[in-house]
Formats: sequence, C-alpha cells, structure tokens
Amino acid sequence: MRRGSQQQRITSGTPNGTPWLGSVAKYLVLGIFAALVLYPLLLIVSTSLKDPLDVTANPFSLFTSVRFTNYLDAWTLGGFGGYFWNTIVVTVVTLIGVLTLSTLAGYALARFHLPGESIIFFTFILGLMIPFFSVMIPLFYELRDLGLLGSKAAVILPAIAGAHGFGLPLGVFLMRSFYMDLPEELADAARVDGAGEFAVFWRVMLPLSAPGVAVLAVLVFFQTWNNFVLALLYLPGTENQMLATGLYLFASGRTQDTELAAAGSLIMVLPVVIFFLMFQRQFIRGLTAGAFM
Amino acid sequence: MQTRTEGAAAQVPRQKRGVIGRFANMSALRRQQAYYAILFILPGLAVYLIFMVYPFLNTIYLSLTNWNGVAETKDWVGLSNYARMFGDGAVLKSFYNNVIWVILGTILPVVIGLFLALILWSGARASLLFRTLFFLPFILPLVVVGIVWQWLYNPLFGPVNKILDSVGLDQLSRGWLGDSNTALYAVLVAGIWGTFGFVVVVLLAALQNVDVSTVEAAMLDGANWFQRARHIIIPQIGPQLTMVTSITLIGDFSVFDLIFVMTGGGPGHASEVLATYTYKAAFVQNQAGYGSALAVLITVLSFVSAVVFVRLRERQR
Repeated sequence: MRRGSQQQRITSGTPNGTPWLGSVAKYLVLGIFAALVLYPLLLIVSTSLKDPLDVTANPFSLFTSVRFTNYLDAWTLGGFGGYFWNTIVVTVVTLIGVLTLSTLAGYALARFHLPGESIIFFTFILGLMIPFFSVMIPLFYELRDLGLLGSKAAVILPAIAGAHGFGLPLGVFLMRSFYMDLPEELADAARVDGAGEFAVFWRVMLPLSAPGVAVLAVLVFFQTWNNFVLALLYLPGTENQMLATGLYLFASGRTQDTELAAAGSLIMVLPVVIFFLMFQRQFIRGLTAGAFM
Repeated sequence: MQTRTEGAAAQVPRQKRGVIGRFANMSALRRQQAYYAILFILPGLAVYLIFMVYPFLNTIYLSLTNWNGVAETKDWVGLSNYARMFGDGAVLKSFYNNVIWVILGTILPVVIGLFLALILWSGARASLLFRTLFFLPFILPLVVVGIVWQWLYNPLFGPVNKILDSVGLDQLSRGWLGDSNTALYAVLVAGIWGTFGFVVVVLLAALQNVDVSTVEAAMLDGANWFQRARHIIIPQIGPQLTMVTSITLIGDFSVFDLIFVMTGGGPGHASEVLATYTYKAAFVQNQAGYGSALAVLITVLSFVSAVVFVRLRERQR
C-alpha cells in the first residue's frame, strides 16, 4: 500500500504541480479504452437477450428487450448444443493427449540418458516454428486417406501434434525445462527405496510438476476451444462440427437470426471467460514462458 | 544394438548428473533408463512425426508438383509454382496486405498496450480490474470477435456509422467491410482490439521490476512524463517489450481467422492475405501444388521474421 502511493507520487503528475490534470487525463484514457472493450462485449450479451422483432427494429441498441428463450433456441434449433458437446469432447481428449505425451517425453528428455536425445528434442522444438499453413494441405489428404476426415480425430490428432501451435512441441519444451529444474536427489531417494523408473516418474516427479502441467493445460484448453481453422478444414460434415465453425456457418448462413448468433457466441465464450477468471495466473505465465525460448 | 547404445551413452560425460555416479550399478541403471526413455518418448514422437513433420515435408514436395488434389499422379514441375507466384497479382496484393498487417498490427497494439500499462503502473485505482477488462478480448475466439465487429461495421444499422452520423461526419460513413479502400483496415482495427490487452498484461508484469529510485531521480532532475517513460522506464522493460513484439509479429504472417470470417479476403482481393489466398488456391480451386508453394512462402516469411527478431533481441542483451 505504502509502495503504491510512493509510486504514484513518483510516476504521475508533472514536477511543476497540477497533478490533478494528469490524473483526469489518466482516467479519461483508461475510461475510453474500457468503453471500447466493453461495448462490443455488451452488444453480444444484449443482442442475445433480444426479441427477434426488436432486433429488426433496433438492431444494435443495448438492452431494449429481454428474453431468455434465445439461448434455448440457439441450443436446440441453432444446433449449438451439439457443437458444444463436440467441442468439449475434442478439447478434453486433446488435453489428455497433450498432457500425457508431453509429460512423458519431457521427463525422459530431461532426466534419462538416451543417445540422440538432443536430436529428438530439436525435432520437437522445430514444430514451434512451423505455422499451421505449412502442414494444412498435405494433412487434409493424409487424414482423408486414413479415413479420419470429418471425425473428431481429424482435429484431435493434429492438435496434439501441434498443428494449432499449442500441442506437443510447446508441451515437450515446457515440461522438459520444468523437469530439468526439479532436484534429482528426490528421484534418487525413491530409487534407493526400490522404486522402478516408472514409479519414480508417476509417484515422485509428476506430482511435483503439477504447476507446470497446470500452465500447459490452461494454454491447450484455450487454443483448442477457440480453434477455428482445424475444424473448418477437417470437419467438412455437420455431424462433428465444433462451436467455432458452427458459429461461423450460422452467422454467415442465409438465415439472419442475429439474436441466435449472439446467443451462440455467448454459449461459446462463457466457458472461456469463466476458465480465464479461474486460471488467469497460469494463463499469463504460460503465454510468457512459451515465448522465452 | 543394445551394447552399442550403452557404449555411446557411456562415452558422453555428464557432470551435471554426477549424483548417479555414486551408484555401483551405474551401467545397469543407464541401460534401464535408455529403455524407459524410448518407451516414454515414442508415443509422442510418433504422433508428432505423423501429423506434423510428415505433412510439413510433404508440403515442400507438393510445392514442386502441379497436383490438383485428385489425380493419381503428381507431375514434377520443378520451381515453376514459385515462378508463377511472382506474376500472380493476387499474391502480390496478399503480400502487400500482409506487410501492412504485420507493421500496423504489431506497432499499434504494442504502442497502445505500452501506453496503457504505463498509466496503470503509475498507480491508477482499480488497476487490476482494468487489466482484466483489457485482457478479455484477447481470450475471445476470433470467430466471435469477427462476428461482433461485423455488426459494428454494418452499413445501415452499425454503431460505427451511427456515431459518425451523429457527430456530423456522415460523409465518412460507408460499408466499411465492403469498400475495397477500407476493408483491410477495418479488419485490422478488430485485430488490434483483440491483441492490445495481451501487451498490457505482459508489460504491466514487467513494470513491477522497474527500479523506482531511478524514476525518482529523473523526476528530481525535471524530466517530464514522456521523458521519464522513454529514457528511464522503457529501457528497463526492454526484454519483455521485445518479447511481446515478437509474438505479435510472428503470428501476423499467418493471420487468417479474422479476415476469413469478416471479409473472406474481399471485396475482390482487397483484404486478401497469403493465408486466405493459400486456402482458396488449395481447397477452392483445388491447386494443391500451387497452394503448397504459397504455404512454403508463408513458412519462410514467418521464419525470417523470427530470425530477424531473435537477432534484435540478442543485440539488446
């Protein structure tokens, strides 16, 4: 508290007085940007609550009518209920896949002696620099030939492999550096007690790496839930459509049910916002850690 | 095979892990560890090789063919797809748009984000609340960002034109996304709206480590707000500033979602970027070969910008 007031004195205002002027300008700027952020968000919420007739009369004025049945209609008639479950399944399976495979590989690369391990690690890291577009085309035909196109696996497997940027390459990188920082003595103590290598990993090291796993999990969740282009390309049918593509098809389709598009947007956004408010710290830590290569 | 493996491992001195050396049965442990290492790494490596590395190499191969995605045979055409790119007006337009996006889409969020982070750091009330609020657009799915900004730009009812009309600037109002002069910039504004909060959050975290006494000294010397920011504060958050710049910069060469959702690259090719054009070439016009060459171009550009950036960072250190 004391530090805050000291900081305020030092960094705000001008040396020649009139600090209130600086303060007014400060809150004016913050207020303008807050309004710029808030207005579009409120617009989604307000439109999702509007009567269809009111949407045609006052399309973009805030909160002119309130009804909750739009969510029900979006869920059933708009098909967002199905998209929602598909998105959950894809996200959860991708999460399990990335977390399992990258803790295992990251641990092995950090702790075990394997000839050629640096080549393997470098191969994984290379994936951080491959943008999705440089695998997009052959991957389509590969998935088609494997008979996976249109199934959930067509999004899950590329996502785990790192096609959307937050898969194994990032996971192996993060987990390896996390395991490198853990003291080896703990593992040795367990070995002296007769634990096998898998037990050392599972009972000792994995629980210790929980904070790192949490950071990775939060990043993978956001990226998979929000991902658009994987579903756009590899889920051409409607049966397994995810929220991002379902929403896009709905909003760009011929029926201009704006209030249902808004309700669908909210159905997609709400879990993300709740998740973010719960895991803000992990999310920010992960984003910055991933960048410090 | 096993003895060779073990021998190779034994030749490599590992001083960091000297603790293990205390065990009498070291070689047995190492052999066991190598076996476990393979077991632990193989599943992840397999998925990664099959769904990332193999298609990546395949893109390079396809870019040298004229495959249409259907035919049994893939005819080798050498570098002619690459030669074709330079004569393709749409590619040049896309590249130009990409460069604009990279420059403005990097500079503006960083400048806005830095400015807001400095304001919040200088002791604003409710700075946590503002920070969370500014960050919200960044976590939204880009599809949702695109849809809501489409509403804002709606030519007839959209709030953007309404506001312009109400302040007497009605000659400026237009169909922002349908006008080829403004389409790209209109999408870019939505993109900046979605990224500046990320810069705020990272830089605000960095600012917590700034040495307040140096700022105080500058203030006693009569330095004003901008002088203090430019000469005292910003140099101390250099690494984080470079980092956020690099993240936005590298992602900008593969920008796709927002443009695809909001304009589809149109009208004409007015807001086309390399990623949307690659998508169209490969999946609308079924030119898998040409599309792959375009994909290689995106990869090279992203890679070059990453390398340039790492160089810049090294110079800072």
